[in-house]
Amino acid sequence: MKQSILTAKWWKIACIVLLIYTVIAGFLVPVPAKPILHETIRNLYFHVCMWFVMMFVFSISLIYSIKYLMNPKLEFDIIASEMANTGTVFGVLGLVTGMLWLRYTWGETGKDWWAPDPKLNGALIALLSYFAYIVLRISIDDEQKKARIAAVYNVFAYVMMMVFVMVYPRLSSVDSLHPGNGGNPGFNQYDLDNHMRMVFYPAVMGWVLLSVWVASVNIRLEKIKRYNSI
Amino acid sequence: MKQLLAIMQRELRHELRSRRAWLAILLYICSTVYITYLAFQHELEPVTWSALFWILIIFISMFAASGSFSGREGEMLYIYTLVSPNKFIMARLLFNGLFMLVVSMVTFIVFTLFAGDPVVNIVVFLATLLLAVWGISSLLTMSFAISIKGGGGFTLMAIISFPLLVPLLLVAQHLSSQSLQNEMSGYLGNMAALFSLDVLIAAMCYLLFPYLWRD
Repeated sequence: MKQSILTAKWWKIACIVLLIYTVIAGFLVPVPAKPILHETIRNLYFHVCMWFVMMFVFSISLIYSIKYLMNPKLEFDIIASEMANTGTVFGVLGLVTGMLWLRYTWGETGKDWWAPDPKLNGALIALLSYFAYIVLRISIDDEQKKARIAAVYNVFAYVMMMVFVMVYPRLSSVDSLHPGNGGNPGFNQYDLDNHMRMVFYPAVMGWVLLSVWVASVNIRLEKIKRYNSI
Repeated sequence: MKQLLAIMQRELRHELRSRRAWLAILLYICSTVYITYLAFQHELEPVTWSALFWILIIFISMFAASGSFSGREGEMLYIYTLVSPNKFIMARLLFNGLFMLVVSMVTFIVFTLFAGDPVVNIVVFLATLLLAVWGISSLLTMSFAISIKGGGGFTLMAIISFPLLVPLLLVAQHLSSQSLQNEMSGYLGNMAALFSLDVLIAAMCYLLFPYLWRD
């Protein structure tokens, strides 16, 4: 990742604009009235986006982990670890937004925060494996060793996450309450009309840019910290 | 192929010679099963039986996996000069898989001694045990290798392996509670899922171990 892209301003301004648009339009644009969901379908712009961002960021982390294993440059390790950290944060946010949403749609009395749903359990376990990645990084002192072992574990954790979040909820033996199971990750099932699409696609772009922005700041900080110690 | 067998034979001899290791595992199995039994002390429902059984398998496997690498640093360097890391990890996975299988059969026998034997469909149950234990042992071997190289020991291995073990455990649990109650609906799909998880884990171990080995 070139320093010039990391420090450039244009995509950060675009990110701010897109997110302001998402928040304003997300609450003002009319949405189709679905049974049970009603207005809570607006959660689509936040909850689903968080998971998209998490997948995207973890994929970048995986790519840089593999790059590090093939060619041990410190920069690759920094990018991989900061992307994994950012992805974990967005995953937790996705879980929290999901819990808030389920409180009003699935829970009968409006008091439940969790449900025994395979997608939820799968997502939690996937996040746990990335928490273990963070703990692994903390517990090794030597930099080269830390980078290599963390890269190996990152591949494991990514594949397991894929199994959990994508494959496991779609197995025929588990049924899920989640809107949008048994097909695409939720698009068609929602019957998105054009109004929602108008807000959803910019929302995804905005959140992705935000995550990359947060990661880029962390990467620049880590680079300063680590290159100065060499 | 001969190299694989040679490594496996060496591991076997090492295990048989160090009586302390497998006696400790045997003692661990008996004590954990007995403590679990003391907690309920009456007829278990099939689902509870199944859940307890798999939790026991997990902890016993962790204990067995962590015992197998200990105290052999000098040997590792020697083996490094002789054999490629891929062959070594394949032999290690195979050996640990067989070892865990034996350990889990012993666990099953001891558990049925204490908690009764509600297994209706023994074939499906044993097949589940076979597939799941392979996956568990491969994962634990890899986690232990990672934690040893990272200097973390048992706790790090536990932290790393717990989340990764959960898919295996979920599918195995589902299958085994089915086999206890004899509702055989869609079990082939779950078996296929277990098998493919095993293959996936073994493939990842095979590909990633050489990077760990380089130290």
